[in-house]
Amino acid sequence: MSQFKTIRLREEGDTLVVCVGGYLNSLLGEEVESVVRARLDVGGRRILLNFQGTQMVNSIGISFVIGVVEKVMERDGRMAFCEVSRINRDLFRVTGLEKYVHSFETEKEALDYLAGNA
Amino acid sequence: MRLFGTMGAETSFREEDFFGREEELSTLTRAALEGSRGIGSSFMIYGPPNIGKTSLLLKLAKTLGTSGGGDGIPRPFPLYFSFSQILSHPLALSQHFLQEFLSQLLRFLGDARPSAFDPATMCDRLASFGVTGCSEVLAAHTRCTAEGDGLSALVNALSFPFSASGELFYPVFLFDDFQYTGKLQGVPEGAMLSILRPYIKSGHFPMFLSGSSPGRVTAALKREGLFGTFQMIEVGGLSTDASVRLWGYLCERRRVDIPAPLLPRASERLGGIPAYQRMLVEEIFFRSAKVPDAVTLENLYAVSVTEGKLNRYWREFFENTFPDRARRGRAIRFLKRVLCDRFPLDTVEGAVSLMGVSEEEGEAILSALEFKGLLKADLDQVTFVGDPVLADFLYWAFERGVLGKGTSQVAAAIVQARLFHTAPEPGQGGDHARRVAIVKELMRKWDLREVPLLLFDFGKFREKFGGKGLLEVVIGMEGEAVRVRLPKVSSVSTGYRASRGAPRFDFDLVAYGFLEGDFSEENLVIWAVDAAVEKNLGARAVEHFENRCRLLALEKGLPPDRLRKWMLIDETADPAAVDLASRYGIHLSHPTQLRLFLNLFGLEELEREPGPARSPGPEAPRAGKTVEYELILPIKADSEVVAARVAEEVAAFAAVDADTVDRIKMAIIEACINAFEHSASESGKVRLRYLLSSDRIELFVQDDGKGFRSGTPEESKKNRGWGLKLIRELVDDVEIVTGPDGTVVHMVTHLGGDPANPGTVRQGRGGPASSGER
Repeated sequence: MSQFKTIRLREEGDTLVVCVGGYLNSLLGEEVESVVRARLDVGGRRILLNFQGTQMVNSIGISFVIGVVEKVMERDGRMAFCEVSRINRDLFRVTGLEKYVHSFETEKEALDYLAGNA
Repeated sequence: MRLFGTMGAETSFREEDFFGREEELSTLTRAALEGSRGIGSSFMIYGPPNIGKTSLLLKLAKTLGTSGGGDGIPRPFPLYFSFSQILSHPLALSQHFLQEFLSQLLRFLGDARPSAFDPATMCDRLASFGVTGCSEVLAAHTRCTAEGDGLSALVNALSFPFSASGELFYPVFLFDDFQYTGKLQGVPEGAMLSILRPYIKSGHFPMFLSGSSPGRVTAALKREGLFGTFQMIEVGGLSTDASVRLWGYLCERRRVDIPAPLLPRASERLGGIPAYQRMLVEEIFFRSAKVPDAVTLENLYAVSVTEGKLNRYWREFFENTFPDRARRGRAIRFLKRVLCDRFPLDTVEGAVSLMGVSEEEGEAILSALEFKGLLKADLDQVTFVGDPVLADFLYWAFERGVLGKGTSQVAAAIVQARLFHTAPEPGQGGDHARRVAIVKELMRKWDLREVPLLLFDFGKFREKFGGKGLLEVVIGMEGEAVRVRLPKVSSVSTGYRASRGAPRFDFDLVAYGFLEGDFSEENLVIWAVDAAVEKNLGARAVEHFENRCRLLALEKGLPPDRLRKWMLIDETADPAAVDLASRYGIHLSHPTQLRLFLNLFGLEELEREPGPARSPGPEAPRAGKTVEYELILPIKADSEVVAARVAEEVAAFAAVDADTVDRIKMAIIEACINAFEHSASESGKVRLRYLLSSDRIELFVQDDGKGFRSGTPEESKKNRGWGLKLIRELVDDVEIVTGPDGTVVHMVTHLGGDPANPGTVRQGRGGPASSGER
């Protein structure tokens, strides 16, 4: 059921902002992974995942996010999360994601961090 | 040369059609027979038009025609005569009366009915029976007629039966439509009674006057000093028992089937008036209609009334009595106010004032109505008759004439008014509007899909899990043999609610669609949808909805299977309402089912109206009571979302905080994914149970797969295998029971907070579990 796969991309300076909407499952996770990989392939190094519209997450979706984080780190990129709900923050903590990626309350804070202003 | 016989109701009278009125017949027969001893009483029989007065007189005539006499006692000779058929000139009346008398007497004495009026021959025949003096009376009558003396001719004709009687018989007059005698030209009102007065007073010649204008006739009786001599008998509808027997006879004759339990209600509906019963059975027969229940009967009745099938008499009466359209309209409006709206009236002045016309015109209208018995008694006490068909006819005529409403609309109104169902409160916006909007969106989306009937059928859940809880949800492949084919919906319109406090006739939504995608008339399907306003859906609301659906089907000419009916429950439903809906083929859906639908169609739920904070309502589980929900999911991508939605709904019942809801949702999603990925279930199903009690929510996810195999690498995907670990973090207790027949993951969230760790996920304990941790 592809209706849960909603992803929106935006450029903010050098940063690719990926807005993850709906249900972060394997399909949406794959999609996120694909757009981030494409960005890295063309030389982009700053990635922001905005989880404001993410209503539900499952462990497979999280596994893809872990994969994305690993790829960004492999390419010496910089990555951040923003607007993560309380439950998702807890899930990221349990899976250890928060050790590797900074999470911010607002997109602006995250963008400032990625731009090196923070 | 005139042919014999009047052509009124008496020509169509069939004795076998006559039912009931045993008491009246017995009283009248006894009085008539007592005439032989000079102690016979006379009766004034009154009642509204169509009620069956004529039938009563004709039945009495038949009874008298075969009774009495012998041993030298003269037999009563019943002479039925209706004044409604005659010309208003007294000469014509007297001529007609003589014809009738001679003809009926000959038949009474055993002769065949003469083919034409030949007075001389008839006098000779009468003489052969011993009735003499006939020629002299005829000669006198001819003389009066030649002189144009109407009154003398009338006296001559009316007196003849008395002078002609004797040892053989005595006349018993059965005078029908007696009020017409007040309209004879050039003859004072009451002249008839003056002529008959000495005979009435004698006690030898009982007389039965019948008419629908008792006010007019009793006034005349009083003027003639005869009022005390007459006994009054009011004829109303048949008793229920007699009326039911009549139904039985009529239905048998026309091979029409009306279920016996409906008959008393049908009798009440038609006021027990035999003429209407006959006409309704004819209508049912003519339409080849089936009458399985009261609603169908009401609908047939209402349509028949609005099409003028039952009340032709009234239509003709108004057209003939008030040829002027404006005056006819006034009369109808006036009667509608008084009969249908029960507008209180007790004086003539009040009546005239209600009509809003001059006193002269008002009195003319009242006089015409009174003449037809629409005013029950003298005008100093204005009381109207209760004839249900007349009332509905007036209602129809008014709505059509004044409001321009169509036949079907008025029929709907009549049924609604008569079924006497309390309408639900007017719509309330808010949650109601939201539910309607959701369904509207759903209907726009669906396009020749098939969905499990269980998504629609709340009753099936109850049947399956009766008594276990207030809501049970099953979706998926179990018992999926029954599916609902959704049409291609081409338009969905939002109804409106009647806000006048009157019963509502509309729907929240009406959708037009086509089966098989072919936009043809034969494929038209209409969905009528209502979102219940009341928290607890009752049987009345279901019946009310069903009634409107039938009217809609009637109006659109839809076969029953092409009208789909769907009601949305707000919170709960009475078992009786669920049963009734099932009987009527109404789909019932709970809000939870609606959510499942949304998931099926891939729709986001619309924003909930801001409302008061949710608190444990009457449905929230009380101490010691456990509510159980069950869900069967197909193993199919993303169907775990359905499980999460249900979990959300369950948690909402318990009024738990948002974080706890989220944790429960995530836990069940993980448990489902685990089962989907690892069980290799042959049935392709996963069964979920939600147990809600006052202190905990328990979730069971059960599959019938191969069971837990510790340490077996189930998959090799990178970064995977977090499922069970997450579950352990999300809920308070987890228990896994596994075996060759499958696995059950049992998760418990304690309500009321975990004091050690309120509303948070416990800290992680390292990396993901090893693959195949199940």
